[in-house]
Amino acid sequence: MKKFDYLKPTSLDEVFSLMEKFGSNAKLIAGGTDVMVLLKRKRIFPDVLISLRSVPNMAYIKDEKDKIRIGSMTTHRELETSTVIKEKLTALYDAVINLGSVQIRNVATIGGNIANAAPSADTACPLLVLDASCLLISSKGEREVELKDFFIAPGETVMKQDEILKEFIIPKPSKLSGSAYWKLSRRKAMDLPILGVAISLAMNEDKSIKKARIGLGVAAPTPIRAFKAEEFLTGKFLTDEVLAEAGNIASKEASPRDSIRGEAWYRREMIRVLTKRVATISFKRANIV
Amino acid sequence: MESQLKSVGKRVPKVDAREKVTGRAIYIHDLKLPGMLYGKILYSKYPHARILNIDTSKAEKLPGVRAVITGFNTPEIRIGFMKDQPVLKKDKVRQYRDEVAAVAAIDPDIAEEALDLIKVDYEPLPGLFDPEEAVKEDAILIHEYDAKGKPLKNNILKLPWRLIAGDVEQAKKESDFIVEDSFRVTWVTHCCMGTSGCIALFDLDNNLTIYSITQIPFLAQNDFNAALKAMGLKGKNTRVINTVIGGGFGSKLDTHVYEYIAILLAYRTRKPVKILFTREEEFFAQPPRQPAIIKISQGCKKDGNLTFREVDMLLDNGAYTSWGATTPSVMMVPISSLYKVPNIKYTARSVYTNNIYAQAMRGYGNPQATFAVESSMDILAEAAGIDPMEFRLINVNLPGEITPQNFKVTTCGLKECIESVGEGLNWKDAKKNKKKKRGVGMSSLIHVGGGARVYKSDGHGMIMKVDDFGKISVITGAVEIGQGSETVISQVAAEVLGVFPEDIQIIKGDTSICPWDVGTHASRQAFVSCNAAIMVANKIKKEILDIAGKYFNVDPENLDIKNRVIYLKDEPENSEKQMPLDKLLRRAHFSKHGTMIMAETFYDPPNEMLNQEFKGNLSCTYAYGTTGVEVEVDTETGHVEIKKYFAAHDVGRALNPMLLEGQIYGAAVMGTGYALTEQLILKQGKVMNDNFLDYKILTAKDKIPIVPILVETIDELGPLGAKGIGEPACVPTAPAIANAIHDAIGVRIKDLPITPEKILKALKEKEKKG
Ligand SMILES: Cc1cc2nc3c(=O)[nH]c(=O)nc-3n(C[C@H](O)[C@H](O)[C@H](O)COP(=O)(O)OP(=O)(O)OC[C@H]3O[C@@H](n4cnc5c(N)ncnc54)[C@H](O)[C@@H]3O)c2cc1C
Repeated sequence: MKKFDYLKPTSLDEVFSLMEKFGSNAKLIAGGTDVMVLLKRKRIFPDVLISLRSVPNMAYIKDEKDKIRIGSMTTHRELETSTVIKEKLTALYDAVINLGSVQIRNVATIGGNIANAAPSADTACPLLVLDASCLLISSKGEREVELKDFFIAPGETVMKQDEILKEFIIPKPSKLSGSAYWKLSRRKAMDLPILGVAISLAMNEDKSIKKARIGLGVAAPTPIRAFKAEEFLTGKFLTDEVLAEAGNIASKEASPRDSIRGEAWYRREMIRVLTKRVATISFKRANIV
Repeated sequence: MESQLKSVGKRVPKVDAREKVTGRAIYIHDLKLPGMLYGKILYSKYPHARILNIDTSKAEKLPGVRAVITGFNTPEIRIGFMKDQPVLKKDKVRQYRDEVAAVAAIDPDIAEEALDLIKVDYEPLPGLFDPEEAVKEDAILIHEYDAKGKPLKNNILKLPWRLIAGDVEQAKKESDFIVEDSFRVTWVTHCCMGTSGCIALFDLDNNLTIYSITQIPFLAQNDFNAALKAMGLKGKNTRVINTVIGGGFGSKLDTHVYEYIAILLAYRTRKPVKILFTREEEFFAQPPRQPAIIKISQGCKKDGNLTFREVDMLLDNGAYTSWGATTPSVMMVPISSLYKVPNIKYTARSVYTNNIYAQAMRGYGNPQATFAVESSMDILAEAAGIDPMEFRLINVNLPGEITPQNFKVTTCGLKECIESVGEGLNWKDAKKNKKKKRGVGMSSLIHVGGGARVYKSDGHGMIMKVDDFGKISVITGAVEIGQGSETVISQVAAEVLGVFPEDIQIIKGDTSICPWDVGTHASRQAFVSCNAAIMVANKIKKEILDIAGKYFNVDPENLDIKNRVIYLKDEPENSEKQMPLDKLLRRAHFSKHGTMIMAETFYDPPNEMLNQEFKGNLSCTYAYGTTGVEVEVDTETGHVEIKKYFAAHDVGRALNPMLLEGQIYGAAVMGTGYALTEQLILKQGKVMNDNFLDYKILTAKDKIPIVPILVETIDELGPLGAKGIGEPACVPTAPAIANAIHDAIGVRIKDLPITPEKILKALKEKEKKG
């Protein structure tokens, strides 16, 4: 492993000045559960690591009137044990309880999971279907980017060299709505998804679908939304045929590939199967009587 | 005897457990010697290539580097079962893990940096990765010459495995049902928690000491002494010292290239040199379990009696030989002797390829062979229209039988095992009222249970000495690799001597102190070392009671020891005729011309080496067992969930039920990984998943509801009746699961692991056929 310096700034200003000083020779580190793996496997060679751990006010879950704000340094364990997440952002809850292991969740952060921009990031699909935005800040100011526009390629995002991810802003789900996430993996812990499917449904009183969101992980070079399938579902009732067709459409929107973790045909097929299942769970969670 | 047992049969916690869980145990990772250097190995960039040149000049100049060695500047040491592997390669590389150079430096980072500075020029050669291609006559040669320099004509190893009993052709004619299938098993690896490593150092007389994690210290001593000879140090000796070992499972049954490299570096630098594998190296540079392509045919009569079993195998040997090439010797055990089959034909060929080479792994070929045999048993049962459990009971092995391979079956609890698993699964009901997507399946096993004579001696040496305080040191050749032999030795010795297990201290892991033992393998360690413990403890006891007899002026026959006190058997309450053991020992020690009490023994079990025809009573008793599972298959995702898991084992006697269950739990998880999730993925010879994220051993969260069932048959030759259990429990898991999946959804998966993808593909095939 290459030798590097480890810096621990205690304010955002200090973070920004260090980022400016070291430029592309620096790498931000939060929990380090992705960064350290990349370092050890000689995939990145930074001269310095800039830790965000000592910067105050970066880890929080704020339950506001119509928004929930999650600080980027919030750990998965903190999310998992929060009643706000468990009750209101159920898809995200589904994701964090099965991410890595408790040891990993104790240090790994939601900001790191998203900024790392892996197609397999477990919190990406839930955040996509919950219409999350990312608040990016730099020494020059801040901007809000919808998560659906955030990812560019594996490991690549719209974040600029001088920006950091400050928080996620999630509109509070409406009353007749429900969301869920299904991680398809070979084992029940310490595993990345072969495929991840998140769905949120906002329902009308008559049980037709008012708004649908479908997020797919490991189905394309980045986590994606299945826009066509969402559109198809809007206004429909959840019958077996409708679900099957939504699955077919979502499956066509995806561009999975063969890897040692799973074959493309299998992933495509699982999009069909899981779209059905996850939509059904989301519908149940919408609690329409 | 039963009710009188004080230590044996009790749930005594592992004596080394607390040291381990509190982090006090000293593993090779923890050990550091003054002046020690760190060695690192440069591996090949190609699976098959000619080495044109190795330039180490830059690496040598790096500050902190103390030595850079290659095949060109060191004496050639050849290793492996057929001595076909030079430690450092200089003519050709034949696999990605081929070691072409090594560095010793003052710290591991510098050593690693130096590796990057070594320049190797290769001329890439076409590679052979498919054993079925490699056996062809016109295939390119992976080895042009054998170890003696004789030219080779093809890639087939000169190890013709062939076992014939009865007349298979005639039996085919007489069979009412015959089935024939082909199975495939692939590479899986041991996944020891502790990665591999060693420290080698020479004294001023050029004798070698090696701190090692080997599970065969005395055979390793033999191997290393041969290496010293190759280095021009004929007559010098090796002392092998074991550190605490972080898991074995067969991975330390051979000596490995990295150990010889450490020896070469230590000799070159005159310093202790440590080599410690990274986890990635552990995955790609540590030989895995032997893969195989298995053709099997079996037949039976209308009444279900088996008529013949014919098996032909092709083993992908990889680039060099280690124990993997010899696994057919144990594959023969289930092929010839699991269930009563009068006519047997087994042939196997191993072929060189440019893949990784394989070695021993828990079961030594038995899991591979049993997967084929027990899957085929279900297929044949279906063809004959007989319930698979019934079919097994019709053909069950029984005490007193002599099998076609000439195994003499003494105790055999197979029938009880099958029946108790059937009961656990509610077999009849599960079959009659079959639930959708649910299914039950079972598989049995036979394994050596009383040692295995695969070497000139299957023996075990032990010394016992007693101190002035009534404490007993047991100096044993046994190696503890997690199986718990230290604990059961203590229990058995305490039982015989009338003391407590905590009075026994085990001294082990040093070839200069401990008497010889062939090694911890073949599920033999508790069997041989506890037999030795009984023999030597009886000698000690006799000495003690002789002295006590003189003191009390009674016949020593009338004396015994209980709870650390010597007493008169006829008058156990008579305190006049009682003496604490320690007191007597001091009296003996400090009397005129005093006595120290110590004794030794060498126990070599009465078993036979296989003859030219591969027949003979390999073990002096055999272990049997049955695993049964109930699964539920998600037919949309292909996911298999294990709902019930029963593992019944004929263990002879449960010397320590807690440890036994531990062996069964661990083996069940290992077996389930073999069945469903584990596989080293190789692409053109390269290991693609050299990490625990992509090599999927199961975790504690993948709970398997394992229920161990201990069947005690009290074997006459076993120590207090016990048989081996180290390997058996991982043997029958995969076929039991495959059989249950077939029962659940009607598709049969014939290659491991049984992934969701394979299940979905098979379901689609089935649908197509209608
Ligand atoms: C054993 C193990 C199991 C795992 N299991 C899973 C799993 O099941 N599912 C899953 O999705 N992932 C898993 N991971 C991956 C990893 O744990 C997650 O992606 C985690 O959320 C990363 O968070 P972190 O805080 O550790 O990020 P770090 O490793 O610290 O950083 C990750 C990336 O994000 C950047 N970064 C971090 N914070 C910020 C910020 N505020 N602003 C800008 N850039 C930032 C870093 O520069 C880096 O590029 C696993 C990892 C391990 C080691």
